[in-house]
Amino acid sequence: MNSRRQPDQALPVSAEGLGKKYRRGWALRETSLVIPRNRIVALVGPNGAGKSTLMGLITGLLRPTTGEITVFGDRPTGKGLHPAVSYLAQQKPLYQQFTVTETLMFGARTNPTWDQRYAEYLIEQAAVPVDARVATLSGGQRTRVALALALGKRPNLLLLDEPLADLDPLARETVLRALITEARTQGITVVLSSHVLAELEGVCDHLVLLHKGRVLLAGDVGRLSADGTPLGELALNRMRQAAQEEAA
Amino acid sequence: MIWASWRRQRAQLITLLGMVVIGAGVITLLRSNMIDAINSSQLAHCVTQAIDECSAPAEVQKAFRTEWATPFQTAQILIIGLPALIGVFIGAPLFARELEQGTHVLAFTQSVSRTRWMVSKLVVALVPALIVLIVLQYLVWWWLTAAGALGPRLNGSFNPVNFGIDHVSPVGYALFAFALGTFVGVVSRRTLVAMTVGLGAFVVVRFALSGLVNDLVPAQRREVPAGSDVDLRQGGGLELEFGWLNASGQPIPHDKVSALIQACKSTPSGTPNTQEGFLACLPQSGLAKKYTSFIPESQAWQVHLVDAAIFGGLAVLLLVGTAWALRRQS
Repeated sequence: MNSRRQPDQALPVSAEGLGKKYRRGWALRETSLVIPRNRIVALVGPNGAGKSTLMGLITGLLRPTTGEITVFGDRPTGKGLHPAVSYLAQQKPLYQQFTVTETLMFGARTNPTWDQRYAEYLIEQAAVPVDARVATLSGGQRTRVALALALGKRPNLLLLDEPLADLDPLARETVLRALITEARTQGITVVLSSHVLAELEGVCDHLVLLHKGRVLLAGDVGRLSADGTPLGELALNRMRQAAQEEAA
Repeated sequence: MIWASWRRQRAQLITLLGMVVIGAGVITLLRSNMIDAINSSQLAHCVTQAIDECSAPAEVQKAFRTEWATPFQTAQILIIGLPALIGVFIGAPLFARELEQGTHVLAFTQSVSRTRWMVSKLVVALVPALIVLIVLQYLVWWWLTAAGALGPRLNGSFNPVNFGIDHVSPVGYALFAFALGTFVGVVSRRTLVAMTVGLGAFVVVRFALSGLVNDLVPAQRREVPAGSDVDLRQGGGLELEFGWLNASGQPIPHDKVSALIQACKSTPSGTPNTQEGFLACLPQSGLAKKYTSFIPESQAWQVHLVDAAIFGGLAVLLLVGTAWALRRQS
């Protein structure tokens, strides 16, 4: 387990020359990146841009091929997730045969910083039946349970890999709103990944744009679109430019 | 973490409990039926006596053996097969299913180290399985002992089937099969692959190593002069070597022995030799002594310990491999 340093002083994520190569090629190369505190970060890029790889490197599930990454000042190892970090993978893994109550109990038994009352409150907010088995829940309900599990740990950094991907538009909105409310009131840095910038526009205040394993754009939204250009247009322009450079 | 592992494997543990309860009931019933059958056929004294000392009519003995051969064999096959079943249905899916369904990410992203997760899963899966195996093994032993010389015990402790279901050997095999299943599961990340490859590898290794253990236990040696009528094979046990020694105590090659014996069977004039003449001829041709090296029945437990140590050692190596593969960051 990582020794926990003062999360107040260290940056949630700081990467230097970070790269990851799989057998089929580079998923992320020469990435230098800083994620500041108390931001809601949109990690945006087309499919295969390296979003999940970056999250895997932050959690320590993957080991960097090149460069370095620190999470609250500690280097992620394969031994376990940093206690101040919660991660919700794209498939939203949950034990299908557990009930919702048992899922929360699992969180309580595996996390010393667990806040049972808070987790129960989140489930109640989502109106998920607590005695139901996870396998019988709808996609939206399952996402809410997974979110309660991630937030019940009381993290300082919450990583969500495509959390909205398999939700209908209405559920997207409720989940996103619930999430942002929690992040703002608890002072959590949230990193949301998506291949659709539009669904995060207006919610995020920091943008990281990935394309083919490289960071095209990174910074606070206020600074990036200082001249009033909409974020979506800005990102699209930057990606077109990158495609042209590649062709040339 | 123990709670979570228990909850994950609850259905499996209930199945195991059901197996023990049903197994215990069936074996107890069969045993008491068998004792009734022995008593009603007046075979009771044949249980403890050697086969040639049993005075009951041969056809009564034969009838009993024929009637009970199938239940005895079924019980033996159960104990022989249980380690493989533990490997296939408990060991192989233990990690492979999590890796296949992606739920290992759930465990890896809580504040629990991967090693603790692994150990708790291993303990919750393995300990109940071993208890079930030991209980069933004991019950089968209890039943077959009641049959004594009328049952498969007649063949001695070193009969391959009897050896495989006795003492600590089944636990050694089960540990190995389980560890092999988990290791293949972690490496292949596929439940079905882990089950089939694990089973195949277990069967191959189990039979490939089955004879090896006999050479690792100190054998006893018995020598008798050529003409002696002392039975070298008395008292059973496992014979490893048998042969002839010359006057200076050196072993004589087997092909030479058979030539010399053949030569002694006839007199120099060509007529068949008498028994006395044959026995007198042997030392003269250089066949001074017969010898045998063997592991006595009473030392069988040593062979079982070595056997279990080999399979247990392989199991430890495989579990270390499993831990290494799980802790590795991809």
